[in-house]
Amino acid sequence: MIKKIYLIGNPNVGKSVVFSRLTDVHVISSNYPGSTVEFIKGYLSLGDEKVEVVDLPGTYSLEPSSTAEEVAVSLLREYPKNEIAVINILDSTNLERNLLLTLQLIEEGFPAIACLNMCDDAAHRGVHIDIQKLEEIIRIPVVSTCAVTGIGIKLLIDRIKEASPVLRDKVSHEERWKEIGRIIERVQRLEHRHHRVREMLEDASVRPFTGLIMASAVIYVSFKIVRFIGESIIGKITDPIFYGTIQPLLEKLALNWQEKSFLFHLLIGDLVNGKIDFKQSLGLLTTAPYIEFGMVLPYVISFYLVLSLLEDIGYLPRLAILLDNLLHRLGLHGYAIIPVLLGFGCNVPGILSTRVLESKRERFIASTIISIGVPCVPLQAMIVGLLGVFGGFYVGGVYLTLFTIILILGIILNRVLPGYSPEFLIEIPPYRFPPLTMLARKLYFRVKGFLFEAVPIVLVGVLIINILLYFKLFDIVTGVFEPIIHGLFGLPKEAIVALIVGFLRKDVAIGMLAPLELSAKQLFIAATLLAISFPCIATFIVLWKELGIKGLVKSSFIMIMISIIVGTALNFVILR
Amino acid sequence: MRKVSLVHLRPGHKGRVLEILGGSGLKNRLMSMGLYSGKEITKLSYVGLRGPVVIKAGRNILALGHGMAAKVMVETE
Repeated sequence: MIKKIYLIGNPNVGKSVVFSRLTDVHVISSNYPGSTVEFIKGYLSLGDEKVEVVDLPGTYSLEPSSTAEEVAVSLLREYPKNEIAVINILDSTNLERNLLLTLQLIEEGFPAIACLNMCDDAAHRGVHIDIQKLEEIIRIPVVSTCAVTGIGIKLLIDRIKEASPVLRDKVSHEERWKEIGRIIERVQRLEHRHHRVREMLEDASVRPFTGLIMASAVIYVSFKIVRFIGESIIGKITDPIFYGTIQPLLEKLALNWQEKSFLFHLLIGDLVNGKIDFKQSLGLLTTAPYIEFGMVLPYVISFYLVLSLLEDIGYLPRLAILLDNLLHRLGLHGYAIIPVLLGFGCNVPGILSTRVLESKRERFIASTIISIGVPCVPLQAMIVGLLGVFGGFYVGGVYLTLFTIILILGIILNRVLPGYSPEFLIEIPPYRFPPLTMLARKLYFRVKGFLFEAVPIVLVGVLIINILLYFKLFDIVTGVFEPIIHGLFGLPKEAIVALIVGFLRKDVAIGMLAPLELSAKQLFIAATLLAISFPCIATFIVLWKELGIKGLVKSSFIMIMISIIVGTALNFVILR
Repeated sequence: MRKVSLVHLRPGHKGRVLEILGGSGLKNRLMSMGLYSGKEITKLSYVGLRGPVVIKAGRNILALGHGMAAKVMVETE
């Protein structure tokens, strides 16, 4: 009687794709090790019964060497062995390394079935595996699958009930590897293939010189594509909807309305020259939806599309190799580039994914750097939208300032914090072209996550701001902070309102700068300060959860100091 | 036959792992990823200035940080 089914396998073997084939529950699967630190559950119909299926984090062996592996191994031991079935997923193109875990599972007496995934890729690369012979040798059921297209999944489900413990002596790692060598010799035949384009690209991307050229090209093209798709959505879809359909409707509504009433102020906001201005009116029906759907959402879609594609192709670990050098100086290793890139989408998942880094010290450095120096998509979209009017020079300036801050801050933290940062060891996956359905699912979940997180806060935020503005409650604060805001940063004292609002949502905050009629220099300083200073409330909560209250206080102190130094420096260094 | 660390092995050259100078934690970690005494490897590349070393072990491509690579001794021709 099977009560639970576990999926276990090395990172990067297409485990999540098999999981979604088995359960029809949608999950995010990634092509870099460690993305599934949290485990995912779903249900599979086995005969008349619904059995729970658990997708365990990727692990190389049953002797854990990372938190993710510890989670996997402890979950696996939760239930008695006679009530579970273990599906061990292997990468057919790399049978040798994958078999270590398989042999350990058998030795430990788990009722297991081996699923040799990515059979199509193996065939492409000239790897032939004799499935029957392998089954005879290891004496557990072996099924060949290609989860992306669905080949073999039905057979896999049919054979789950055949999983039963097999007697096998426990041996040492060395002996196990010798045994694996003998097995490979008998079951695997490699057809000699000439290096094809894909393999040549794989090699070129890990060499210093060609790798850097490729990395520059990839980053440049990605940036262009993100902008192109974002601008296309705005120009072709959202702007026509807002200006063509919604604006006339709202203006009709506004005409038949007693202006200056409280409700009018909340819903529509202020009219600019007698008309609704989506960027400045600041109403619940005007600016709030326009910022989220008309300015930010298009870039969220395009950013996550490009990032998910790079992830699934398997490019990011190669970028990690090239950047290991630089990141080492900041007390991190190359792999930290993944949380940082995620942080460019939204700081929250970026900071959450710092869990892939081993030490507390690394997680503190990475989280602090992300929350201070990495602007999220909503913030970037608004910076480009407002500051871009004055020319790309100013937008570039914001990025350059933030990059400089990251470097200096990282170097200082690395020198000051006790401890050292561990070395980096990762597996470099082959390039794989992701199935478009998986890519679409991933994009869907990320965009949905953004909407669920952002929209309520934006609406509530704009509501609170409007109420405070209506009753002129901000006036008290503006007076108190005037010396800093005006004296040090050279901004009008009303800009403090935007900085406070930045605590709720960065995009709304930048939007609030629009009616202040700032000069290019002032807008540049204000935008940079918003990027550095207090992260939005969601990021704040995650920082608290991940670093603890002490870490949060430390991180916030650093944040305030840098904000004051950088704001003042920019004000006195830039002439116009 | 010469004995060198992975850092000093020339890119493109093959070698056989002789020993891993380090604690059992490191040995186990490397071993579970397919790098152990006796394994034949090919060094693919090295990112200079104390950057990582990339090797191929069987069909497996691994990147090791500089300090870790310095602890893996190989014999080469």
